[in-house]
Amino acid sequence: MDRNEENQIIQDITAQEYKEGFVTDVEQDLIPKGLDENVIRMISRLKEEPRWLLDFRLDAFRKWQAMTMPTWPHLDLPDIDFQDIIYYAAPKKDKDRPKEIDPKLAETFEKLGIPLHEREVLAGVVAVDAVFDSVSVTTTFRKTLAEKGIIFCSFSEAVREHPDLVRKYLATVVPVNDNYYAALNSAVFSDGSFCYIPKGVRCPMDLSSYFRINARGTGQFERTLIVAEEGSYVSYMEGCTAPMRDEQQLHAAVVEIIVEKDADVRYSTVQNWYPGDAEGKGGILNLVTKRGICKGSGAHLSWTQVETGSAITWKYPSTILKGDDSTSEFYSVAVTNHFQQADTGTKMVHLGRGTKSRIVSKGISAGRSQNSYRGLVRMNPGAQGARNFSQCDSLLIGSKCGAHTFPDIVSTNPTAVVEHEATTSKISEDQLYYLGQRGIGEEEAVGLIVNGYAREVLSRLPMEFAVEAQKLLQISLEGSVG
Amino acid sequence: MGHGNYIDPMKDVRPGPGMTEAKGAERYTVQAGERLELTYVVLPGESRDIDVSVDLVGEGAEAVLRGVFLCNADERVRIHVLMHHRAPRCVSRQLFNGLAGGRADVLFNGRIVVAPDAQQTEAYQENHNILRSETARVESRPELEIYADDVKCSHGATVGRLNEDEQFYMRSRGIPEDEAQFLQMVSFLAPVTSVLPEDGRKKVEAAVRTL
Repeated sequence: MDRNEENQIIQDITAQEYKEGFVTDVEQDLIPKGLDENVIRMISRLKEEPRWLLDFRLDAFRKWQAMTMPTWPHLDLPDIDFQDIIYYAAPKKDKDRPKEIDPKLAETFEKLGIPLHEREVLAGVVAVDAVFDSVSVTTTFRKTLAEKGIIFCSFSEAVREHPDLVRKYLATVVPVNDNYYAALNSAVFSDGSFCYIPKGVRCPMDLSSYFRINARGTGQFERTLIVAEEGSYVSYMEGCTAPMRDEQQLHAAVVEIIVEKDADVRYSTVQNWYPGDAEGKGGILNLVTKRGICKGSGAHLSWTQVETGSAITWKYPSTILKGDDSTSEFYSVAVTNHFQQADTGTKMVHLGRGTKSRIVSKGISAGRSQNSYRGLVRMNPGAQGARNFSQCDSLLIGSKCGAHTFPDIVSTNPTAVVEHEATTSKISEDQLYYLGQRGIGEEEAVGLIVNGYAREVLSRLPMEFAVEAQKLLQISLEGSVG
Repeated sequence: MGHGNYIDPMKDVRPGPGMTEAKGAERYTVQAGERLELTYVVLPGESRDIDVSVDLVGEGAEAVLRGVFLCNADERVRIHVLMHHRAPRCVSRQLFNGLAGGRADVLFNGRIVVAPDAQQTEAYQENHNILRSETARVESRPELEIYADDVKCSHGATVGRLNEDEQFYMRSRGIPEDEAQFLQMVSFLAPVTSVLPEDGRKKVEAAVRTL
């Protein structure tokens, strides 16, 4: 391919728009910028929270103040001015009809393809908890789920209606002072989803949370808590988008998952926050902590993530394999383009005997982006006969990007077996040539190769998500080979 | 703040995150057409800090680093390798295999850095460990930092035990358990020891007998 054609293609990708980048014009209640104890008291008061939760927040805030930003990630993280962020933004409610959803919000989610009305969608029925800035707009199918004893609601509602459950599990997997951003989240978290599946219940539909950042100058700090009791099953999906802006916005979430004996939780994410423009301006700083614990024997937790968005991603969905014979998987596709940076991976901590984990990570870097896999596999003394296999592949498209792999394997158990493999290479010219020879254009060929490369991960996603993820991959990378 | 872009690792011999020990004590520069070959042997009872950095500065330079370690007491072995590909068409290979028993504490931290424009690099790295006791600890941190696209890089790391099927096979053919294990360990180390001179190889084999 000649230079002109190459430039043309590069221009085409940089010109590709982020179709979720619109702003919803809706009146919002904002609290003043800045962060101190008064702001935290204000958030707690606005949410009408009980005393124990305010104490939890204040304790977290004091801990956070004593902590410092981690410097070990392979990222050029800008200085974040935590006093320059609005920590709470909520769309104004119509006072006469407080129960109704603002049509503008409904329209927003409709446009994003997230139905707020209960209806059948392509792959069957999905229950949605839609979060707009700091509040949950609505949660669908609650009645149907309640018939089975399943609780699926916004975090704020859970605090009001099921305080005992929230109190029992909150911060048991991700302690308040786990890390800098988790401590910040614990102090200022606004809304998020709460999900409780009772013993022996198989959740009849996929549950999903959709997070939307809209207001300027704000950060989003959601908190998700999933509890799966003995023998239960749930498939949970998470999606997110934000408007296109020149400023960077902070997203610091915490997700905690408790998986009891023989329960099965599948957690899928398609992360499509605004990645910034082609010059690296704007975009979301996605600094999140996600962790689950396989508490009982035979518990199973699987993480599947497709990461295409965000200016900076710092994220390690992890599992603590405590119950004997519990299992966990981590499947990830991370795509970075332009000036995006991602440092993502997982931790598998094996405590119980016979525990098994599997890690499959596919990184794709293009443009001037930096894409790192970072992972930890730890075999503790009790992990008799435990097993891990990790495969981390990186694909480079263009000579200005970087692909990195930082695994850490620690074993203190002579009966445990850990295997890790990683490869880095560029998109194969032979494959491109082969496809070209058969009349398939360069762009389409790259799409095919990347989709084939990511297939092992994409095939793990629930059907509806898989379609979206494939489209996203195509958009992020179409024609980026020269 | 951390950093996300290429920094010349030779100017800032920085260990991987969380490591503080690597300082690049042994340094080698390999020019165009040259080949560097280093083999390290750590015998039982010996605590060692191997801390080596290799700078491949000339086109087509080559480096092969190998090592074995045998631990069965309270040795502390640290292996830090920094392999820096600075020029195009260089080839590097690393292979470190070891046995850790007793209360040994072993760390392998191998870092491959491919600078921008070091195109057509081939860099491979392998670290295999057999953990032989409940009180020993093995940590492996193979790292790849790649800033060029036309490369073939891979690493593999394993921590495990001696293969039971192999043991069963040998014992079913009348080979005593001790001898079967000895053969397994010798063959596990063979990819490294096979390049040693005869007496070196014998020394390692004799040491394996004492484990």
